[in-house]
Amino acid sequence: MLPPTTTTDVMTAVPAPGAASPWRRISTGDDTVAVAERAALGTTARLAVWPPESLGAALGAIDSVLSALDRQASRFREDSEIAWIHRTGGGRFMLSNGLAQAVSVALEAARWTGGLADPTVGDALISLGYDRDFAAIDPERSGPAGAPVPAPGWQTVRLDGPILSLPAGVRLDLGATAKGLGSDRAVRAVMNAAGHAGGVLVSLGGDIAVAGQSPHDGWPILVADRPDDPASSLTQNVRLAGGAVATSSITCRQWRRAGRVLHHIVDPRTGLPADGPLQTVSVAAATCADANAAATAAVVAGERAEQWLAVAGQPARLVARDGQVRYVGGWPDADGGRVNVSPASYVYRGARPGVLR
Amino acid sequence: MNAERDPRRGQVRLPAFAESAAAEWQAPEAVGPAPAGQSGKARRAGIRRVRRMSNWTAAALIVGSAATTVALAQHAVSVGAPAAAASSSSAGVVTTAGTQGANGPRVSHSVATTSASGVTTTTTSQVVNGKTVVSQVRHAPAYHDN
Repeated sequence: MLPPTTTTDVMTAVPAPGAASPWRRISTGDDTVAVAERAALGTTARLAVWPPESLGAALGAIDSVLSALDRQASRFREDSEIAWIHRTGGGRFMLSNGLAQAVSVALEAARWTGGLADPTVGDALISLGYDRDFAAIDPERSGPAGAPVPAPGWQTVRLDGPILSLPAGVRLDLGATAKGLGSDRAVRAVMNAAGHAGGVLVSLGGDIAVAGQSPHDGWPILVADRPDDPASSLTQNVRLAGGAVATSSITCRQWRRAGRVLHHIVDPRTGLPADGPLQTVSVAAATCADANAAATAAVVAGERAEQWLAVAGQPARLVARDGQVRYVGGWPDADGGRVNVSPASYVYRGARPGVLR
Repeated sequence: MNAERDPRRGQVRLPAFAESAAAEWQAPEAVGPAPAGQSGKARRAGIRRVRRMSNWTAAALIVGSAATTVALAQHAVSVGAPAAAASSSSAGVVTTAGTQGANGPRVSHSVATTSASGVTTTTTSQVVNGKTVVSQVRHAPAYHDN
């Protein structure tokens, strides 16, 4: 069943202290949960919470998380912590707890995926033209992209507690894990704010984490190839009672340079956009950062993705460029099926994804 | 001296509870005719009290055991599948991923979509009749951050 999300564009804003854009309430057809949405982190943040009375406290909690993550890890904000580090040209840095966790998760994700989700692709993305917030990129610039810049490799970066050693010339991009990390932080912040009553779902650009008690049979989630194409034959409804689900795809965040279509998922080995047989991969995992990293790595891995996901025990749904859909690791092949996730996280290394400000 | 070594020193015998009470408890119906006199009545009353208490204790234990069994069985059903899925890996860190909402609300429509990353919206706001009204327009062409 497709989501009967309201098409109403004008609604009374819900206050969002310090937020760049206001929340708007969304009617999904169920009044047992409250749903709200706003632009954030260059994408869309969506919150669903029950009981609906928890919405006010939940919005305040998620705003704090999103604001903090943006200040810590956005490479498009001049005043962010990571932008300041990049400007210094390498060295040793004492990081805030929040950025230290973000870098740690990114490095562990790289280790887990054998370097396919590598945070040292910053210069590769810039060379390809992804050098500013995506909304500000000229999608049709006639000039060619720069020469491909293979990633220096995550092993060149060292993190010892909050101390980061970053070689000169290495630029981090935490895009393969940051939205997932944000969703993980957000659901825990909301549960804390709600006194651990009820349940919550947070989506950052389609990377979804849930916490607390889920609705009966789990949170209903639409899995789509593209966010603007919910009626496509490539969609599926699933139920998620715990953990997270994230999707990586080459069908969005595309731009063109000298007639060539580029996208944001870079193969760290070549510095070029991944060009394997998969166009979209959705992964369910214990945490959204795990799911986010695994989905990105799978797109890069291409033909080897299915085997890697199966060995890693991660339920996944893979859409090939020719439209074929395959299911791995217990992902339900029926519409409305429930996704059961492994309880093990690989990217947090024992540190629970708490709320870091 | 000897009294200090008496292992039963300090023990208090229950009123009207004879040395043979244990045998009578195990086979009360086999006991012969009650001895006449006050001590016999008191003895029978004591036995009845103890039997009543024991029956209630047994009933409470049975009910408690049953409740515990049901609770454990429900827990096993809810965590069984993830535990099985995790058995193939050893490197991961176990996390608590949430619980199924047996008492949660019934939600029939999708509340979120997981797909290619994200939607960017343009937001404008204005005050109409004292209320802040927000307009949002989605951008979703092929070469934009939909």
